[in-house]
Amino acid sequence: MIMQQWLASGVEQGWLPEIFQYPFVTYALIAAVMVGPLLGALGTLVVVKRLAFFSEAVGHGALTGVAVGILLGEPATQPIAALFGFCLSFALILHWVKSRTQVPYDALVGVFLAFAIALGAALLLYVAKVVNVHILENVLFGSILTVTPNDLILLGLISLVSWVMIWRYGNQALMSALQPELARVQGAGGRRARVTLLDYGFVLLIALITVAAVKIIGAVLVGALLLIPATTARLISHNLRGFFIRTLLISTGSCVAGVVLPMALEIPIPSGAAIVLLASSLFLVVVLLRQLGWLQTQANG
Amino acid sequence: MNALTASDVSVNSDPKVSGKPEINRGKPEINSPPKIKSGPALHLDQLSLSFGDNMLFNPVSMTLTAGQLHMLTGANGAGKSSLLKCLAGLMPHQGEICWLWPENSSDQVDKVAYIPQLEAFDATLPITVEDYLLASIQPRIFFRKPPVKEQQRLEQLLSRVGLEQKRNRKIGQLSGGERQRLLFARALAQDATLWFLDEPMNGLDQEAQGQILQLILQLKAQGCTLVMVHHDIEFVTAHADQEVRICDGNIMVVTPAPVDDGLVVPLGVAQI
Repeated sequence: MIMQQWLASGVEQGWLPEIFQYPFVTYALIAAVMVGPLLGALGTLVVVKRLAFFSEAVGHGALTGVAVGILLGEPATQPIAALFGFCLSFALILHWVKSRTQVPYDALVGVFLAFAIALGAALLLYVAKVVNVHILENVLFGSILTVTPNDLILLGLISLVSWVMIWRYGNQALMSALQPELARVQGAGGRRARVTLLDYGFVLLIALITVAAVKIIGAVLVGALLLIPATTARLISHNLRGFFIRTLLISTGSCVAGVVLPMALEIPIPSGAAIVLLASSLFLVVVLLRQLGWLQTQANG
Repeated sequence: MNALTASDVSVNSDPKVSGKPEINRGKPEINSPPKIKSGPALHLDQLSLSFGDNMLFNPVSMTLTAGQLHMLTGANGAGKSSLLKCLAGLMPHQGEICWLWPENSSDQVDKVAYIPQLEAFDATLPITVEDYLLASIQPRIFFRKPPVKEQQRLEQLLSRVGLEQKRNRKIGQLSGGERQRLLFARALAQDATLWFLDEPMNGLDQEAQGQILQLILQLKAQGCTLVMVHHDIEFVTAHADQEVRICDGNIMVVTPAPVDDGLVVPLGVAQI
């Protein structure tokens, strides 16, 4: 409320555009400011652990989760329980199968991804009988119009849990990603369960964050935002601290700009699409600048 | 895999063949330098490894004494690395392996290091030597300057493995020898007393091999238990306390001696 009043006064005094007088813009901005850093922080681990394709698959699995939720009677704009349940089950089963087969990981994720999308597409026909399918677009690609104060509370709780997990176990996850065998041997003798728990905890985080970002970025595009800011920051960072901070800045900047710019420029596109388009554009600009040699010095420290 | 303390089991007491676990309980031996810390003994009970019907090595029972350098040798494909991974708990196997820690402390199980053959890191990852070691030292993520204590620990580790000048280099851009020393530094950061080394000098030049050897000898002098795969017989003869040879699916203990053919002791007599 305080932020909304502050923004409204800014509009009255003329130093803020008129769009900030609407409460939904305020809610969307708060959500963007919470989701952005969270996606950035987790994105650094996703990139180091080479789980980009995995997070992408979990995000795409959201299509099925949404369809299941609607068919089970959840609100069409907010099928949170089914979305979370499906994404988590999907991720856990995928991770479990991975640890018990010799199938290359990318092939395995590809199979699961195709299965999830196909199942979602099959269910859509039944969903169409219950609700207008276009409502699903908001869930899949994000819409700032749908963010409510209750969503912000849920987002805040998920952010809190996620930040505690990242702070507490981030270093272990990082080291385990860099040298999995050493992590496993150190987890031997009764503590191997801790290493396994860490892996499953990471899977839980991906599922949680998919739910957290569903209103702003959309379930399908969450995976992209876990990947793109960290990949961009990696190109222009020389150490871990720089990598982390730049990822957070790019992710948060993309989220905020993706919410505000379409409104300010009156471009009718989903917020998730705008956020991912901005992040991708920045990535391409960085690649281009590096090719031209303008960022070479910085990247080499 | 079990992690037990020495008091949990009894071992054949004939030192000629069994090599009873030399448990260091903090009392320095007469005429020997005091050991700073001691690693565990490893007891194998009917350990074997097979893939389907193909048995890589036959059941063996033996004890690898605490605080010594044990070298695993054998021809290519004999199963040296597989045996090492079994001992480290990284590979499913038949039979039992016990790590017999000298002190009754649950923290000991974390003091285990595994150094693989030359490991490649992604050269583009923005993680420096300093980041890597700080992440090993610090239990939680912090992106501020580390506290004085951790900074001192970092300096000690860098100095110990001779990587002070490379602290700001990305880990993926280190040379082979530097990378191995970094892995050693990480294990040192966790005060490892049980080390599994899988041909850590493979692919390194003479100078880098010498640096790794110095680290290994320092660890041995400190009383750590080291189990190392190596193929160079001269090296094994010169430095191993005990050689464990895999030959035609059988595991034998070879007492290293300053002659070409050491005394081969068939196993099966050192069982619990």
